[in-house]
Amino acid sequence: MTTTLARTTPLLAIAALALTLGGCASPADRTAMTPQNLTISKHYPHSLRVQTSGGAETGAMDSSNVSDPDLKAAIEDAVIQSKLFKTIVQGSNGDYELSVRLSSLSKPLFGATFTVDMETAWTLTKTSDHSVALRKSVKSSGTATMGDAFAGVTRLRMALEAATRNNIEQGLKAVAELNL
Amino acid sequence: MQKFLKLLALLGLVASLTTGCAVNRATGSVDPSANLSALKTMYVKKIADDDNTYTLIADKLRSKGVTVTSGSEAAPGNVDAVVTYIDKWMWDITMYMLELTITIRDPKTDFPLATGNSFHTSLTRLSPKEMVNEVVDNIYKGAK
Repeated sequence: MTTTLARTTPLLAIAALALTLGGCASPADRTAMTPQNLTISKHYPHSLRVQTSGGAETGAMDSSNVSDPDLKAAIEDAVIQSKLFKTIVQGSNGDYELSVRLSSLSKPLFGATFTVDMETAWTLTKTSDHSVALRKSVKSSGTATMGDAFAGVTRLRMALEAATRNNIEQGLKAVAELNL
Repeated sequence: MQKFLKLLALLGLVASLTTGCAVNRATGSVDPSANLSALKTMYVKKIADDDNTYTLIADKLRSKGVTVTSGSEAAPGNVDAVVTYIDKWMWDITMYMLELTITIRDPKTDFPLATGNSFHTSLTRLSPKEMVNEVVDNIYKGAK
């Protein structure tokens, strides 16, 4: 009994360590997905409602994902910080509605340097007449190396957050090129 | 003790190189502005190094009543939509399709009108044909 215990204890310790290091994934963080220091010279005097779809929650056995509420919050934060629109509204009473659909997400399974590729579909609609002001596919990628994080799950999350940040930045810059 | 350290190093390596545990999932989404039933002609754009997936996609779309052509060149100008895809393969005793993403796009703007994705790990692996069927069916399930 003592011998069995002595043999299994190291194995259990190793398993616990592996779970701690690799573990299972955590979702992309909304703050880390928000582009920082995004400079946009245009400031529309309108209110905006943001809607997101196509994202997924990060399950206990899954790799990191971007959830719809987190993507929405990251876009809203970026709009507020850049002052692209005057206000963000919830519900259906905004001057414009921005719909961002996560269309595809390509994540690596194994490796040292992780690159995540992302594509989103951005649609900006004027609420009063339902006219479409912008309809655009936005493609981005994000990379994280061993220098960023040792644990693979953390590195993947960082690459995912970088891809999302890049995507939001490109999308908002495309909106800023319009004349609303 | 040496065995223990070897095992520890191996587990550390695995933890550092892999991205997490694996699951199965199947999703489909259609842009609110898209009307899939109005898309009668499609072009499946074959990716390099693909032997058969593009023909499976074309055949499945034909079963939905769509007139489909395919090739690796740029899409002809007279189609209602262009279909692109990404297939990921994995080896576990034999090769199997781990993940498939199919996107139906506006031929003029490249805008993704609809997307479907299926991800099945080894124990619940599906044949390429079954993967294609699952993805396309999920896309049309979400259509108007």
